[in-house]
This record gives sequence, C-alpha cells and structure tokens, in this order.
Amino acid sequence: MAKILIPTPLRQYADKKDSVQLAGATVGEVLTSLTSQYADLRRHLYNDEGKLRSFVNVYVNDEDIRYLSKEATPIKDADTVSIVPSIAGGSAGVATPAVTLSKDEILRYSRHLIMPEVGMEGQLKLKAAKVALIGTGGLGAPLGMYLAAAGIGRIGLVDFDVVDFTNLQRQVIHGTKDVGKKKLDSAAETMLDINPHIDIDRHETALTSENALDILKDYDIVIDGTDNFPTRYLVNDACVLLGKPNVYGSIFRFEGQATIFAYPGGPCYRCLYPEPPPPGLVPSCAEGGVLGILPGTVGLIQATEAVKLILGIGEPLVGRLVLYDALAMRFRELKLRRNPECPVCGDHPTIRELIDYQQFCGVPNQPHEPAAAEGDIDPVEVKAKIDRGDRFVLIDVREPHEYQICNIPFAQLIPLGDLPKRINELNSADEIVAHCKSGVRSGKAVDFLKQAGFKKVRNMRGGILAWSDKVDPSVPKY
Amino acid sequence: MIRIEKQAWDAMVSHAEATFPKECCGVMVGSEGLVQEAVPLPNTYTGPQEDFFVMDPKDLHRVDRQAREKGLDVLGVFHSHPNCDAYFSKRDLENSCPWFSYVVLSVKDGRFDHANSYRPDFDQTAAPEEELIYG
Repeated sequence: MAKILIPTPLRQYADKKDSVQLAGATVGEVLTSLTSQYADLRRHLYNDEGKLRSFVNVYVNDEDIRYLSKEATPIKDADTVSIVPSIAGGSAGVATPAVTLSKDEILRYSRHLIMPEVGMEGQLKLKAAKVALIGTGGLGAPLGMYLAAAGIGRIGLVDFDVVDFTNLQRQVIHGTKDVGKKKLDSAAETMLDINPHIDIDRHETALTSENALDILKDYDIVIDGTDNFPTRYLVNDACVLLGKPNVYGSIFRFEGQATIFAYPGGPCYRCLYPEPPPPGLVPSCAEGGVLGILPGTVGLIQATEAVKLILGIGEPLVGRLVLYDALAMRFRELKLRRNPECPVCGDHPTIRELIDYQQFCGVPNQPHEPAAAEGDIDPVEVKAKIDRGDRFVLIDVREPHEYQICNIPFAQLIPLGDLPKRINELNSADEIVAHCKSGVRSGKAVDFLKQAGFKKVRNMRGGILAWSDKVDPSVPKY
Repeated sequence: MIRIEKQAWDAMVSHAEATFPKECCGVMVGSEGLVQEAVPLPNTYTGPQEDFFVMDPKDLHRVDRQAREKGLDVLGVFHSHPNCDAYFSKRDLENSCPWFSYVVLSVKDGRFDHANSYRPDFDQTAAPEEELIYG
C-alpha cells in the first residue's frame, strides 16, 4: 500500500481526506485506483486524452516521476506519492523594453516565423536570450555558428586559446587564414558574418573558480563545450549555484554524449560522476584522437536543446543522457536521476561555493616541466647516443598507426598496451630509453618497467614532438 | 476570500521589493483561508525574469511537505508584476493551476503599489478576482 498525499484544494473531491492508502505496482496504477475511487478527481488530474494535465507533477517520495519512469515508475509499500502543481506566470512583456524584429530580420528568420512552434513570439524569445558558450573548439564551433544563425540575441564566448593547424580538422568556425589568431576573434568574426543582428561578448580568459560566477551570472543558459574534467566540474557547480541550466556535451574518438544538467529538479554532472577519474586515465582528444565530424553531431544536439529551452517547446534532454556511437550509427539513452545526496545539488548540499577544481581532479597546479622529472633524457642526447653507436635500446610505445605517421628509424615499436606481454623482448641488463608522442605514455612505460625490475630505463623528454623541434625538423608533427 | 496575516504579508511585500525589477514568487501557507506564513521561493525561469516567473516544483513539494508537518496547508501562491498593475495576465492564465489562490503584487519603481487575488477556473479560461484582506 502506497500513501497518496492529496493537495488541500483537491480534498473536497476526496471525502476531505489529506491522504489515502492505495495499492498498485506503478504510479499509473495507484493514480487509476485513486481516480476510480474518487471520480471527481479525475478531471483535475487528467485531460480528455487520458494524460496527466500539463500543470500536474507527481513525486514518488522526493523524486519527480518525469526523471524516473514517468507513470510506469514502480511503487513500493512504504512509498509516498505526492501531487504537486507547476506554477508559472508573469506580467507578459509589459515591464521589459519590447524586443522587436526589423524588416531584415523578419526576412532572415522567415523559416522560423512560419512555424507556429516558433513564430514571432519564439523568435523574439531567441532574440531576448543570453547564452554563454564555454569554449570555441570542436563543440563550440558548430554551436557558435548555428546559435548565431538562429538569432540568439546575446552570445558570450569564453576562450583564451589561439587557432592552430590541428584545430581545423573539426573546428569549422575557424579557417586556414585564422591560424595564429585568437579563437575568440576568429569565432566572433564568423558568427557576425553569418548574422550581424546579434551581440557577442568576448571573455578572453580561462574560466576559473574566481571568475566563473561573475561571467556566467548574466546569461540565461550555459553551454559546456570544454574538454577537461576540472572545467566540467567548475561549469557544473557554477550552474547549480546560479540556478542556470548547463547544456553538456562530450566527445571522444567516435563516441559522444549529451544531456542537460542543473535544470530544476533534474540531475547535475556530479549526480552522474561524483568523483573525477584518476588523472591520465581518460585520454583527452589530443591523446586519443577524435573523428572530426563527431563534435558537429554532438554540438548540434547541444544547440538544439538550448534553442528548445529558450522556446519552451518539446521535451528537454533532462534526466536522460544521449549516447552517440558514430561507427555503429546508433543513439542510445540512459536515464539519469538527481542524487538527493549530491554534494552540490542534493537536499543537503555541502558545496556552497566554488572550490579548487584542479586540486579536486588531482591535476598538479603547475604543469610539470619536462626538466623536473628525474631520469628523463633529452632528445638531443638520444640522437648523440645513436650517432656515437652507444649500446642501448630505444622503444617507441605509441600505436602502430602513429608509427606510420612518423618515427625514429632506430626505435623498436612496442605499444604501451602490449608492453606487459612483450616485456620478455627486453633485457633488464640493457640501457633502455622509451619515447612516445609527447612523453606522457612513455613515462607510464618507464614506471611499468621499473616496477618490473628494470633499473636502467629512461623517458625521452617531450617525445617525438620534441625530437622534431630539436633534432630532425623533417619529422612531421601531428 | 483570502486573508493574510500581517507578518506573512510583510514578508511577501519585502520579497517583491527586494526582487524588483525581476518578478518574485512564493507560496502562502496557512489554514482555512487564513495565510499565516509566506515562503519566498527562487524564480527559476531561464529567460528574462522581468516579466515571467517559474517556480521549481521541487521547491513547492518541499514547502508542501513542511506545511503538512506543521498541520498547515498550501493555500496559494504569490508573484509580483514589476512596474505594472496587479492584473491577471494572459500568460498568468495560460500557466495557471485551478487549485490555488493567486495573489499578484504590483511593484512600481521598487516600492509596493497594490495587490489583487485571483482564482483561476478549471479550464484556464478565466480567473475571477477574489476578496483579499491583508495586514
């Protein structure tokens, strides 16, 4: 038997009772038995099509069934079912300076204006909207271009990076002519070229615990287009503290994810990932690669959700994580729930201000300079050893497809993942130097070999990228 | 008819003035048509809040539960209309819930001006004014 709490104004239809005990396996069954017992309640809770009326929310204990399994949400014996109305309203445009569209804008947005779901009212909402876009990289590129085209009136860009050649494979907001230019300027130019009727705020800074609340407070919606854990937790916590939805996306190799966090009643990033992964466990796109088209797909899911939130149409991607697999060309959906114990959005939050996210994610505050690590060897010294004919083994722990891009002919290829099973190819009496692309994976290889009892093993500082800089400029960088 | 005790009324007015020029919202708690407590809630609308408010159902759910624990009921909701009169707008009607009294406070240039209470009908087609006694 579940307990159903009857809201005060409805008690007149339920024999003046403030709660009723009813049997049923799901929310739908319990409500059906409630409305068959008290027929007058039915028209208050359901519309003519037999669906819950738009303003009716149902909670099981403290969870909104929209974020559970809706009316199929299972009911246990001790559960309490509550009926809570949605309350909204307003003076409707009398107090704000009227936003209007010029003749040019009406022509530009005509394909929006002729759809009743958008119409003039919706297009004015888009024009009145203020959206913050964190990052103008892979996800930020399609987001910036389409949000500009859609006519979002004010877009705040946050970035401090400079366009380089490796960006152009996916960051379509920047072109070859922009290499070396600030991403902010390059992105804003493209967006204003697409749509000169919008305003762009340029925040040329990294988002930090010190500036995040101040930057984000002026926007209605925040879109996270970043690619690192400290910033994701920072954006999440700032959005929860400010009460602003965080339209989230992430990409890796051939797979992407998207959802809306920090929406009233819905989960936040910390509900999904209470703790960051150990540093280095999850490779970044720079380490693991990414299909250039992938951020287009994921960024445009984010753009779609942002526009839907502003227009107030459709079913927002709240409490659902979309998983996209480009190779299988398949979309899946995971249900997400707000965690009542969540330290930032739970019922008894312990995080009430922004923290040190570098420290939280275990990232050293000072990026460690290659010179600091003991047992490193400079590429110039490695070259000298090869030239002198020193007896030593150089192993390349990258992947075979990276070896095909460029290699040091003297080196023996043993990918990091194969090292445990191929360790017998190495002799612990030999002097060994390991290298990879930039020195991170070969550092792990050195640690592994030392644990396996190898003593004379060193890491080539800066990897093959440093080799290209210092020894052989004909080696291409990637 | 809805009556609001002075302490609750003062809390509503100061919340409306403090939130100006944005719209405020909150819940009125009491029993038998007498509001004994006003609970200010955050406006969670993600767009411009100068002329619109959205209450988080989670907040309303919490207030409802706390009221029950004290043996009180949720009697209605209140919100402000900054720099315009305390009418029941088309937008108010479209989003209304027929279960509650809706008290609208007009705040002009940051100061409380006047207030009215409405009772939206079942089909969200009209909201007749009801008598409001406060202070």
